[in-house]
Amino acid sequence: MHASPLAHHFENLEKQAHAARLGMWLFLATEILLFTVLFAAYALYRFLFPEAFALSSRALETWVGFVNTVVLVTSSFTVATGLNFAARGDGRKTGLWFGISVLLAIVFLGFKAYEYSHHFHTGQLPGRFYTFEGVKAPGAPMYFTLYFLITGLHGIHVVIGMTVLVVIGVLARKGRYTAAYHVPVELGALYWHLVDLIWIFVFPLIYLI
Amino acid sequence: MAEPVAHDEHTATHRSHMPVYLGVWVALLVLTVVTYAVAKVHLPGAWAVAVALVIASLKGALVALFFMHLWDQRGANRLVFLTSLVFVALLIGLVIADNATRFPLANPPGSQGALPAEGAVREPPAANVEQRDRP
Repeated sequence: MHASPLAHHFENLEKQAHAARLGMWLFLATEILLFTVLFAAYALYRFLFPEAFALSSRALETWVGFVNTVVLVTSSFTVATGLNFAARGDGRKTGLWFGISVLLAIVFLGFKAYEYSHHFHTGQLPGRFYTFEGVKAPGAPMYFTLYFLITGLHGIHVVIGMTVLVVIGVLARKGRYTAAYHVPVELGALYWHLVDLIWIFVFPLIYLI
Repeated sequence: MAEPVAHDEHTATHRSHMPVYLGVWVALLVLTVVTYAVAKVHLPGAWAVAVALVIASLKGALVALFFMHLWDQRGANRLVFLTSLVFVALLIGLVIADNATRFPLANPPGSQGALPAEGAVREPPAANVEQRDRP
């Protein structure tokens, strides 16, 4: 069954695409504000405990954050490339590039899992579970509370984004989208770029104090 | 005014964006290396976080404008994005302003600007904690 992608309450596909994009941007704005709450908490506690935050940040393995930034930025590029092929109506290549992006996301999560297990072993944990010997200062447990909240929420978004990329990549491969209509590919790509955008701020704030 | 914008957006879907995407990707990688290198220098005081945030904003702008196509899309999408940034600035700015101007006792113990506990000698936080842990 190949129903027209045009919903009956829209005059034409172009207007429908504009509405869809605007709706997606409104959603992305709420996502930005969701993360902003955590960044505000981070700003507050970094302001209150600058020493503890600097020491705790230096206890992290900076190279992991650096590599993950490179991986995520590259995945954003591969998603953009996938969209470029969708705009030309080449669904198979869209599927391929989205697949590469998902693999990069798995690499990202792999490094994150390596980091998390390291934190669990050394006791770099939130609140009263904090037993890390390396940094003993008031405020250090708060750093790791915010570390886990921010990277955890971001990690959830990576998983959601991967799911979106897999679904849309498979549909694109099956030839569901055309050069004239590929709005879902565009919106999925927007979501992934937001995940990248958030990480671009997480990297210097968490790892590079 | 609306006509040329709509026209741009229409033609944008037919043009290859690959040169732009490649350029942005390389720029993002270079800026990642730059921010990493600058952080290793440990600039004094507020400079480190200021430089880090400027570079991150630059990278974010590249992603939003070119990967997310705000550069060649309608005003409404840009307006939504910019409005969210206004609230980001308000939320973080006011939280910091609040705590920076508080009566010292209102800040949690051990934090910057808080008064030491009654009768306590002000010591570096690290030394304080180690003493408490000793049997």
